Amino acid sequence: MIQLDGICKSFGENEVLRSLDLSAKKGEMFVLLGSSGCGKTTTLSVIAGLTKEDKGDIYLEGSRINDTPPHKRGIGFVFQNYALFPHLNVYENVEFGLKAGNKRSKRGGNKTEVKRALELVGLDGFEKRNPMKLSGGEQQRVALARAIATEPECILMDELLSNLDAVARERLRHEIAQLQRDIGLTSIYVTHDLVEAMALGDRIAVLNNGKIEEVGTPEKIFYKPEKEFVARFIGMKNIFEGRSAALDEDNGVLQISTGNFDLTTVFVPSSVGTRVKACVRPEEIILAKSDRNTSVRSARNEIAGRIVSISQNGPLMRVLVDVGGDEMSADITRLAVRDLGLKGGDRVLLTFKATSVHVIL
Amino acid sequence: MSSSFRILLSLLAGIFFGFIAIIITCLLTATSFAEFAGEIRSPEIISAILLSLKTSIAVVLLALLFGIPAAYILATKRFKGKNILDTLVDIPIVLPPLVCGLAILIAFGGEGIFSRFDVLFTVKGIIIAQLFVASPFLIRSAKTAFESIDRDVMDAARTLGASEFYTFRKVTVPLARSGIASGVVMTWARALGEFGATAMVAGCIPYRTETMTVGIYMHAMSGDISASVALSLILMSFAFTTLIVFKYLGTIRDGNLGTRGAAAQ
Repeated sequence: MIQLDGICKSFGENEVLRSLDLSAKKGEMFVLLGSSGCGKTTTLSVIAGLTKEDKGDIYLEGSRINDTPPHKRGIGFVFQNYALFPHLNVYENVEFGLKAGNKRSKRGGNKTEVKRALELVGLDGFEKRNPMKLSGGEQQRVALARAIATEPECILMDELLSNLDAVARERLRHEIAQLQRDIGLTSIYVTHDLVEAMALGDRIAVLNNGKIEEVGTPEKIFYKPEKEFVARFIGMKNIFEGRSAALDEDNGVLQISTGNFDLTTVFVPSSVGTRVKACVRPEEIILAKSDRNTSVRSARNEIAGRIVSISQNGPLMRVLVDVGGDEMSADITRLAVRDLGLKGGDRVLLTFKATSVHVIL
Repeated sequence: MSSSFRILLSLLAGIFFGFIAIIITCLLTATSFAEFAGEIRSPEIISAILLSLKTSIAVVLLALLFGIPAAYILATKRFKGKNILDTLVDIPIVLPPLVCGLAILIAFGGEGIFSRFDVLFTVKGIIIAQLFVASPFLIRSAKTAFESIDRDVMDAARTLGASEFYTFRKVTVPLARSGIASGVVMTWARALGEFGATAMVAGCIPYRTETMTVGIYMHAMSGDISASVALSLILMSFAFTTLIVFKYLGTIRDGNLGTRGAAAQ
């Protein structure tokens, strides 16, 4: 288990970590998610002892390690740029930590340990190879094997996959998840990539401006964020400010009025008039052509609007709809756009379930 | 227009290359093989060659001992006054050797703060003079080499359980080795060719403080040109060797580190 209490770190005038608290449980894959410059890498560097914190405490398995030098912390680190030793071959790279840790070299070397580590990352047989001649994905595997071979208490991974091409990234991502589960190593994984965070994390912490905004399971962070920043960060496009208009606990529904339209959502304890934020993911919205001008209130939300624009959004099409002064985005397939014959200026009906509306109090 | 420019360029460059080649040839043809063979058997010449080799090798070893830590600190640590230290290293490079010699003479002379060390007009004096003038070349070269190592690579070593010293020995120095090697070659060559500071500090005492360069000067001034030429030719052969080694190291350094890693297997 790793715990950070109130870690502060500034570089000159630049305050990078502002009283950061964090706790990664034993054996879990803890993902630190944030945009670049939010302090993710500095956090890892402080945990590893490579950067000295200005304030705060660091605990590893309950003992305070602030004053333990990096080589005695037993914390592995895998770098974004691999940081392999260019003057050593793959075997020697993996063996480095085993030799460095032991004052006297073992009789017969560390063959078994190195072999096991290389097998774990699927690089058995690469021992004699020059690491600089390997592909990015292979180099990162060597870096992983090198870190695992020393049997650290925990491992820190910094944007491990961001230098790789899409295919290698996806493959290695699956393998890292598998590997981490197999050896049950407490891991802190830093990334700016939502998909990576979602796929890998047992829990995700969203970092913003040197502080953790919110911690939770991928399910919670991606579908039920508690903070507006997190909702925006994970790509919830439609966030509307409104007030609780009517509560119906018996039927489990809540009416929210944004001023421009009303939304029906799953019941959330609040009182009439409470300011809330309602979020709807663009992909949860169904579009239909309609000339109706008014919204229908039901357990399903039906809101009338007029198409402002249609643009490509990854594999889907994003349709921006004007709904009484607010704008709502809906992601639908290219085929749906064609079948419905949608174009700018068309009147449409946006439909989504009450359960699709997430309320932030 | 452009062809006359080309002619002008070739002419000027030709004069320059010719100038160097002719002067070197003059030196090479100033002696006969028999004369050269005779000269290098003279005890004074042999003593000068041995003294030069002895002092220049001592200088390289001392420069490694003190210069590598200095280069490492300048390259990897952050501290106040670093710029001042960095500039200090450059001073012996830009200062005329005679001025360096004078400074050492004053420091170790009768009133100087190191006057209790008896180094003036001794071999120790030669080593100090050469070290002062030549060691900055090693520090410069090693510092650049240390700086060019990816910081993450050294950090990776630390997180793998390596102490700072272990990292220094097993990662930092091996990765900086070609830079250190070229620094060694430059320092050695500079020490071997040092004249001004050496003569200033150790004088020109035959058999005692007569290095090759001092010998060349003394013999030339006393009219014994053939001894000067013999010493010069030997120095020149050292210089050419240095040049070749240096160019070779340069090629290695310019090539990628990976091939070097592979070649080491």
